[in-house]
Amino acid sequence: MAEAVMSFAVVKPHIHNPLPTTKSYFNATSKSLRQCSSIGFKKGWHQIESSKSRRGSLSKVNALPDWPLMAIVVEHVQGQRDIILHKSVWHLNNDEIKNVYTLYIMFTVWGCCFFGATKDPYYDSEQYRKDGGDGTGHWVYEKQEDMEESARAELWREELIEEIEQKVGGLRELEEAGKKEKIVK
Amino acid sequence: MAASSLLPKSISPFPKTPTQKSAVTHFPASFFSAPQPPHLHPFSTQKPTTLIPNAKENRWLDPFNDGEDPEMEYGSLFADGKQEEDPTLPNNPDNPYGFLKFPAGFSVEVASLGSKLRGDVRRCCCLISGGVYENLLFFPVIQLIKDRYPGVQVDVVTTGRGKQCYELNKNVRWADVYDPDQDFPDPAEYTDMLGIIRNRYYEMILSTKLAGLGHAAFLFMSTARDRVSYIYPNVNAAGAGLLLSETFTADTMNLSDGGYHMYHQMIDWLARPGRNVPRQPVPPLKVSIPRKVKEVVETKYKNAGAEKGKYIVIHGIQCDSKASMQSKGDPDSLLPIQVWAEIAEAVTYRGVRPIFVIPHEKIREDVEEEVGWDASIVFITTPGQLAALINDSIGVIATNTAAIQLANAREKPSIALFCSAEKGKVFVPNPGEKQCTIVSSATGKLIDIDVEAVKTAVQIFQMPLAFV
Repeated sequence: MAEAVMSFAVVKPHIHNPLPTTKSYFNATSKSLRQCSSIGFKKGWHQIESSKSRRGSLSKVNALPDWPLMAIVVEHVQGQRDIILHKSVWHLNNDEIKNVYTLYIMFTVWGCCFFGATKDPYYDSEQYRKDGGDGTGHWVYEKQEDMEESARAELWREELIEEIEQKVGGLRELEEAGKKEKIVK
Repeated sequence: MAASSLLPKSISPFPKTPTQKSAVTHFPASFFSAPQPPHLHPFSTQKPTTLIPNAKENRWLDPFNDGEDPEMEYGSLFADGKQEEDPTLPNNPDNPYGFLKFPAGFSVEVASLGSKLRGDVRRCCCLISGGVYENLLFFPVIQLIKDRYPGVQVDVVTTGRGKQCYELNKNVRWADVYDPDQDFPDPAEYTDMLGIIRNRYYEMILSTKLAGLGHAAFLFMSTARDRVSYIYPNVNAAGAGLLLSETFTADTMNLSDGGYHMYHQMIDWLARPGRNVPRQPVPPLKVSIPRKVKEVVETKYKNAGAEKGKYIVIHGIQCDSKASMQSKGDPDSLLPIQVWAEIAEAVTYRGVRPIFVIPHEKIREDVEEEVGWDASIVFITTPGQLAALINDSIGVIATNTAAIQLANAREKPSIALFCSAEKGKVFVPNPGEKQCTIVSSATGKLIDIDVEAVKTAVQIFQMPLAFV
């Protein structure tokens, strides 16, 4: 039978704890803070260095200072080694939350664009994907204007030929009339 | 002209181009120059014309523009007459130097001076607002440009409906679709069209849209040398003149109210006499029909049961289709099919088939109900096909649609039904020459038209029948 004895120890990190447990502690910290600030303002850099060392003696230093430890659970099983669990709470501040959401939105938008573009029916259609090649080197052929233009040019040529034919015909008639007159004479 | 009449017995130091100019803009130009007696003028016998034809005599635009130099002597090689049809340099094949293709002594450096002095136009763009009717009436202007500037390439930018006209016009090179009447054009289309126009490097751009500052800016950005446009006759034209080189104030807000001569101001300006160039005569409206369209239409009317030269075209059936080819200046120009059925009865007993041209397939049933199941119905929306149909017919009975103008252009006898006599005069100015009989409604509404009058007018189709 394994008898598990769980001991519970609450660790109070001095700086990150928003609610100090004892009045005296609160007084001490506020006092020390006040001291720090006053010294910093009055004396300058070297004084801050010295005050830092004093503050280090006042509070405990964490390896991960922004990683507030909530509890350490020690599971004690007889005949085995203790299982020690470090329980911590990880909070995001406002800026970090903002960053996370920004990244999320950017990724979503990029994904919509990218994966949306891969499914474009136009690019998958025969109109775009068919084997083309009229020598122009373009995928999309706008030939309508050219066709119309050449049709009008053709029309112009036809009219010109008609006009010339009419003139020539008129000249021929005149010539023939002249010949007939000569014959009559 | 009021100011120059104040100076009797002296020629006007700033001779006017034939365009109408208001007396107010005219006044300061002659005000600054002292009038000279004619004997002091060295060239008083020679009638001078303006150097830069479009130079506006507005002192605020150019304070140093004193107009024509009266002592300038023209008559040189470069400034006179019309432009040459082919602008390439004269070629000398016997030249031993391969890179000098032109004959010895030919000064290439000043060869292009003529184009500057004469105001040559090699590429011209016409921006035409309105539909089929307005574009059809622009044909004479295009012909005029062709005659005035030999070798010019005319391009057209117009609405989608209007563009369809240009399969009937041999004088046009490119026809592009852009709706100038849109007040808020799609930015992509706007910039695209602007780019197209700029890339073609036009020398002259003509616009028949009434321009305000916005449209004038569009024309200005086209970078054409001559930017010619109609402008609003009211305060909306403010600022447009600064960006345009020649402006015509429209008579009314609707240019189409002018009827057949709706572009008369522009024609006046284009046909203006230059140095050694007489005033250009205005050509009549002419259309040419491509062979392919003729063939297509022939199968169409043969399917409808008509023969070549033995039918009369009836056009102008009331419909909400966009293809009814009305003029913007005459909105009351369509008749319901019941009236047409009555008129058609008068035609049929002469052994001629009436062909009903429907602008939309949905009217086919209505026509069949009113006229009978054996009625000849042809579905035609484009002016090209309509012209081909009219070309093969005896004549046309139509309300004020493009069909009347096409019949006049192809010299076919026609009966035009108008809502009022004034509209008839405006849209068909000389009906006698064109074998056009005008029947107008007495009340001013087309629906009240006298059908009996139309039936008696049908007599004009008798003449060709006698030959058949």
